Amino acid sequence: MAYTIASPRLGTVGDVYEPADGVNVEALIEGGFIKSTIKSTKSDKPSKDTNEEN
Amino acid sequence: MATSTYLSNPVVTINAVDMTDQCTSAVFTRMIESLESTAFGQTNRSYVGGLENSTLTVTMYNSFAASETYATLKTLVGTQVTVKVKPTSAATSATNPESTLTGAYLESLPIVNGQLGALDTIDISFTGGAYSVAIA
Repeated sequence: MAYTIASPRLGTVGDVYEPADGVNVEALIEGGFIKSTIKSTKSDKPSKDTNEEN
Repeated sequence: MATSTYLSNPVVTINAVDMTDQCTSAVFTRMIESLESTAFGQTNRSYVGGLENSTLTVTMYNSFAASETYATLKTLVGTQVTVKVKPTSAATSATNPESTLTGAYLESLPIVNGQLGALDTIDISFTGGAYSVAIA
């Protein structure tokens, strides 16, 4: 997973961020400090289960 | 007699986020629990070192703005986090060592500490974790 810095508290905004060991990445995303560079696509959506029994 | 003097200006990093400009106090205490080893025949108590249980306690201005105190801490409560402190903002060196607690636990987070005519400040403590120090 690749991230970019979104807050100057973490570094230069726009730079690639590589989390060190022990860093809570989810907290950084939740707090708006970093952004994932991978955008979700239609293929990320869960596929329909076609084996459902009716 | 004091052998060195500097304006108190520690750098505080919480989960890799530089929170220095929100902090007014930072106390990093290295503590190793004592285990009593006194035995019959001794005339004084004696102790040996047990588990390390160091702490970092910081006082911070509370802010709910983007990238500020609340945004930094809200998802860290009840989790282990890496915190770092060094005495000044100068480069890390033997005379400006950076102390780190890796995997320190944040047990509680005051959400609001409002008082009439005063800025909202909070005290938080990170406990435990592995202590290390960098000098370069």
